[in-house]
Amino acid sequence: MKWQSRSRFFAVPLTLIILLFLLFPFFVMISTMIKAGPDVYADPPHWIPSHVEWSNFVTVWTQYDLANYFLASLIIALGATVLNTLLSVPAAYAVARLRFPGRKFAMYLLLMIEMFSPVIVIISLFKVVARFHMLDSYGALIILDALFTVAFNTWMMNGYFKTIPKEIEEAALIDGCNRVETMTRIMLPISVPGLVTVMIYAFIFAWNEFLFALTFISSRNKMPLTIALYNFVGRWTTQWQYLTMAAFVALIPVLVLFYLIEKRLVAGLAGGAVKG
Amino acid sequence: MADAHLSLRERFWNPEARLAYILILPTLVFLVAFMFYPIIYVFVMSFFKTNKLSDLSKFVGFANFADRFEDREFWWACLRSLIWTASGVSVKFLAGMTIAILLNVKYRGRKAARLAFIIPWASSVPISALLWQWVYHPEFGLLNHTLRITGIWTNPPGWLGAPLSAFISCMWVDIWIGIPFFALVFLAGMQAIPTELYESAYMDGAGGVRSFFSITLAGLRELILISTLLSAIWTFNDFNVIYILTRTGPANSTNILITSVYVNAFTDLHFDWAAVESVVTFVILSLVSVVYARFYFRQESN
Repeated sequence: MKWQSRSRFFAVPLTLIILLFLLFPFFVMISTMIKAGPDVYADPPHWIPSHVEWSNFVTVWTQYDLANYFLASLIIALGATVLNTLLSVPAAYAVARLRFPGRKFAMYLLLMIEMFSPVIVIISLFKVVARFHMLDSYGALIILDALFTVAFNTWMMNGYFKTIPKEIEEAALIDGCNRVETMTRIMLPISVPGLVTVMIYAFIFAWNEFLFALTFISSRNKMPLTIALYNFVGRWTTQWQYLTMAAFVALIPVLVLFYLIEKRLVAGLAGGAVKG
Repeated sequence: MADAHLSLRERFWNPEARLAYILILPTLVFLVAFMFYPIIYVFVMSFFKTNKLSDLSKFVGFANFADRFEDREFWWACLRSLIWTASGVSVKFLAGMTIAILLNVKYRGRKAARLAFIIPWASSVPISALLWQWVYHPEFGLLNHTLRITGIWTNPPGWLGAPLSAFISCMWVDIWIGIPFFALVFLAGMQAIPTELYESAYMDGAGGVRSFFSITLAGLRELILISTLLSAIWTFNDFNVIYILTRTGPANSTNILITSVYVNAFTDLHFDWAAVESVVTFVILSLVSVVYARFYFRQESN
């Protein structure tokens, strides 16, 4: 139709301009991370490096302990993912499939918790974490990171379980499976896509988490990437080429993972009006 | 109610309910220890004077609240939070809507464009904030350089260096992160609207603008409500961007309620003040989440 080709005529250039504008910081990142030191601080600055300094990639791993921070992030994020899944999947099954007094209240509570900012409780969390002797430990971050996504993930999983027809489960129950067996043998295998979404979400949250790491981690060798990079801004003030290179390395895993779940995420956040 | 004839014990302790409680118990234990108890403790703390180690030293009733409410800086932080949230969400909304409209036009490569638009949201917030810090660098940052050489702005500001420009610069980073969420939600909503509606409107002589308002916006009504509330909460809660970019400076100009809590506690060691602001923030967030929860459930049951 006529109006379609006309809108295309406007849409394509406009999309490109907006994208150029919105992706600006990433162009800056790419330009900086392959520059040599003097190029980064050239006056006036320039976009195109006078030569490409590939060795920046090696330097961040060898001289700046990137591997150490990467590993810390990985341990925390994987730990949080496992704990989060162990907590939220059974809870979601209960909310989605079992009838019990307080079910509706639990649903409301979950949705409310999802909105809370951890900053509200950070001062008392500090006391709690100290009392459990978990200051400056991975354990504290694993538990807190897992916990602050438990509401959302229970919610997502609940939505996923509900899409599975009850009849499948009922048939298994009639065949002599008990509830726990139907859950582990029937429901979980069908729910693998939902399970993956939930796990990835927990992983991304923990990987990107800043506040808890800032507050509870003090030794350098336990710092995850976010906080390590943040602390380097002062120290690396003359070396943005390394910082942007490290940022690039830290971003790749979350970008890839985010793309895997974005559709389900949007559907989960927007509720029944959007189908995943 | 079919359950009405059951005894209380049977209702709460039948095999099905029992299994449900067992499945929920681990989550509940963790939530109590690391979320519910801390919330209660913050309330308690707000009624006590605290020492530099955050120990409760003396019960003072509402004195901490009175203290905070008399402090101009507290009200400034509230006002900044309001401006931050209201203007942030509005810009995110409008930009997101524009992008959704653009992505809803069919052309080759729009799937790729959609993926590119997601990047600011998919990216890690602390890392994005760090990147922006470099982008904003007054002398060596490529933003000012680009503005100068293209002639768009021959004398650009130092962004994070002065109060007003720092506030706007921080706000922009928060907006930039939040745009894709709106864009994706609206796009998903638009694609759920049957195209026949547009075609018949076109037949009836309705122009593009008319059909946008009466078909697109009308079809998105519920989504707009839910996503705006959600975005408002996230925007209000944005601690990372400000803390990383300016640490609430220069001269407190980027201090909003949520950052004020943290700085009062861990920089100034005024834990009682931080507790009061936590309580205030908690109350505000609870009110908004109740509204959100009500709309969410209403929409789900439809």
